Amino acid sequence: MTDDELDRALFALPLEQPPADMHQRIMSATVLRAAPAFQRWELLLLAVVLVLVGLASAWIVTSSPESGSRLGDSIVAFMRGFGLFSRSTYVWLAVGLSSVWWISSLPFMATPRPTVYNR
Amino acid sequence: MGVALLAEPPAGVASAAAPTDDDLIALALAGRGDAFGTLVERYERAVYHLAFRTIREVEEAKDAAQEAWIKAYRALASFRPGAKFATWIFTICYRVCCDRLAKRKRFTGDEPLDFADPAAGPEGTYEAAEDAARLRAAIGALPEKYRIVITLFHLQGKQYEEIAAVLNLPLGTVKTHLFRAKDLLRAALGPTAQRRTT
Repeated sequence: MTDDELDRALFALPLEQPPADMHQRIMSATVLRAAPAFQRWELLLLAVVLVLVGLASAWIVTSSPESGSRLGDSIVAFMRGFGLFSRSTYVWLAVGLSSVWWISSLPFMATPRPTVYNR
Repeated sequence: MGVALLAEPPAGVASAAAPTDDDLIALALAGRGDAFGTLVERYERAVYHLAFRTIREVEEAKDAAQEAWIKAYRALASFRPGAKFATWIFTICYRVCCDRLAKRKRFTGDEPLDFADPAAGPEGTYEAAEDAARLRAAIGALPEKYRIVITLFHLQGKQYEEIAAVLNLPLGTVKTHLFRAKDLLRAALGPTAQRRTT
């Protein structure tokens, strides 16, 4: 076999056929890919803002001698507003949760109705 | 997809019956996804062929080809106008395949076995010199460095510089590998075949 014959045979060789779904897969992963909800710089900016707010809050709380107790009072008042210091709240909460558990454990699954043939 | 692309090329881009790769890249960079789709249509078979010849496993070749296209899409802005898109995408694909092969070697400790080909066995008949299946089997049986050079020679023709660019090898090495690969192919294709330099 000469060089030319081998070259001709090589160039006449058909290329491997790609799988049928390959084009769609490539397009889905590139052009048709949904854009992310947030850009990377937006997420970075959000993270920086959150860190700054956290640092500022911590500084406000720690800088004033009375701010710690004031913050504690605010939290307690908030919890009291929701009735979290009342015994009856917990009693009703327990009643509610146990009712939910009891109802969810009832056999409400529909059973297949027996077929009745009209004669 | 490609038809819609050809209908109305934007200003500044040459409007020809068949847009060049550079035109398509410019359009894709301008936000025309269908232009990239046309590029994919043009080269996906060749890219898959290269991936399959390098990796020799259908599923992994498919994944490698897809990964190459994703990388190309992300790096499209860095494509140098005037360069050959085929060489560029083949280079990306070849690197992806090399990475995957290296990972596989790291995990399994050895190279994958050649895919089974009924014509590759010693009992195979060698009467038909132009038989594509036999040639394909002979290429598949080549050592990796020769197989890649022959595959790129098949894809890119006698553009040795382009092959060297894809493989990041000196031109002389590419020519030597190609010479050796052809010798091995001749030996595999027929015991009576004699090399005659043209």
